[in-house]
Amino acid sequence: MTGKERIMTALAVKQPDRVPLYIHGINEAPIIGIGRHLTDGLPEPRQFHEMDPGEKMKLLNTLFLLHEEFGVDGFTSFEIGHEVEIDAGHVKDDWGIVYARSHHGLPVAKIHPVRNAADLDKYAPPEPSRAHLLLLDMGRERFAGSTALFWLMRGTFVRSWRLIGMENYMISLRADPEFLHRVARMVEAYNLQQLEMLAEAGLDVLVVEDDIAGTDHPLIAPKHFREFVEPYNRHLVERAHALGLKVVRHSDGNLWTLIDTLLDSGYDGINPLEPQADMGLAKVKDYCGDRICLLGNIDCRDLLPDGTPAQVEEAVRKAIEDAADGGGYILCDSNSLHPGVNPENCIAMFQATKKYGVYPSV
Amino acid sequence: MDLSSIKQSVLLGDAEATIAAAHEAVAAGVSPSSILTDALIPAMEDVGNLFACGEYFVPELLMAARAMSAAVEVLRPTLARSGYKAAGTVVIGTVQGDLHDIGKRLVAMMLEGSGFDVIDLGTDVAPEQFIAAARDNDAAIVALSALLSTTLPAMESTVGALRAAALHENLRIMVGGAPVTDDFARRIGADGYAPDAPGAAALARRLVGPHGDADAN
Repeated sequence: MTGKERIMTALAVKQPDRVPLYIHGINEAPIIGIGRHLTDGLPEPRQFHEMDPGEKMKLLNTLFLLHEEFGVDGFTSFEIGHEVEIDAGHVKDDWGIVYARSHHGLPVAKIHPVRNAADLDKYAPPEPSRAHLLLLDMGRERFAGSTALFWLMRGTFVRSWRLIGMENYMISLRADPEFLHRVARMVEAYNLQQLEMLAEAGLDVLVVEDDIAGTDHPLIAPKHFREFVEPYNRHLVERAHALGLKVVRHSDGNLWTLIDTLLDSGYDGINPLEPQADMGLAKVKDYCGDRICLLGNIDCRDLLPDGTPAQVEEAVRKAIEDAADGGGYILCDSNSLHPGVNPENCIAMFQATKKYGVYPSV
Repeated sequence: MDLSSIKQSVLLGDAEATIAAAHEAVAAGVSPSSILTDALIPAMEDVGNLFACGEYFVPELLMAARAMSAAVEVLRPTLARSGYKAAGTVVIGTVQGDLHDIGKRLVAMMLEGSGFDVIDLGTDVAPEQFIAAARDNDAAIVALSALLSTTLPAMESTVGALRAAALHENLRIMVGGAPVTDDFARRIGADGYAPDAPGAAALARRLVGPHGDADAN
């Protein structure tokens, strides 16, 4: 099987030839740390925007290379080119949201352009731009159908709160619910429009990235989730399916009180299944492993930063034992390969997936 | 006088009703400090318990904390005249290099709701800023937040710097945030760790209680 066939088979909750391997997200430092095992001439770890054009190309090439060399079956892409630099420490995206750059990972939303219904009356949302799909185009060209192409799309909750502010979102649940619905409809319209472009560009798997939960509970009540978030995300699922794509739902945290709603929305996969948030593979597999593909769970909080390669290998073996039976499991870490992970442990995770993930031939 | 209407208003996150009920209680001769300690603070404890058992979520915490704060603003002038003392001052911030604010703000609100004066230094706070704020405000507690595992070393060095500054022997340090664990808190020499905002408020009360840091961690 090709990587793409492997991923699509698992997302259909069927058994491929081996457990597929996937990287949901990866920062510059682990690309460089892992890449040094494969190629020379990589820059010292620093952020993409701090690199010169030659270093940026080298980094991207290394990202592709590590997928090829370690047999990673899915490639994640996301919008690029939608932000402009305001100053050395801040960028603004095409929604008008201002982010503070962080040396430790993704930028953090700090200024939210829409505060209330009156602001929204005057607000003009951006149009999705085909040019922002460049990374997907590069992945499609490079992998030429061998690897499943994933796209991270911010879902209704995340896009909404970034636009209006988290605290404001929370307060508006009671103070002005119609305002939230209007924002959600606007986000949905943007996402649906971008989805058409993505399908046209050759996407295989849409990832609705919409973090909604903390370690113990959802951030908002399940009744609010069912009213303000999931109906809009569900429209993405329905349209993506009509376009022939698979859809993975990503949310950090403990999802148990939301999981029936998520299953009802028809997602093909669920990610990242944090072990610290009671999303253990055996438990999730038992509950819904015959209805939805599981992606994730290799601990990126403690194990990948501080464990040993032998411990990582054992965690991979156990994950496969717990979740891979009959298919419907894609191995990846429990969120992203962030700047704190040990590259040697990432490589151990890739290699152990190959070692333990082969299904007996039928 | 029955103070249950004040408690109920806080639990419902209804600021206007909380203020009205507080005014009514004052008019009936209830002291502002009694309104605070017998109604508002216990109401926030109930809110914390409802959060812990999954009946309340972040929005309900926020609404309750706002209702409580609104009532405290109404009572503040009288409280000051009556010599009421806050449970202590907490200096709170997200450690250097970490820009995340939301969880820390929630903790600050819950601490205010527990009767603390709170000085919020924001995000990306250097150790020397924590030290200066703790010294200048005679803080009982410094509370450190981190969301990223890569900023945990900054949390550790901040605890070390606070200890080295030796501000006063009763200064307590509490830590929290997604990657923080009880083990980590112990290892870096913090006095306590809490997994969520209501837990942080309860921890702070224990840390300044009669037994100080006993069993707090």
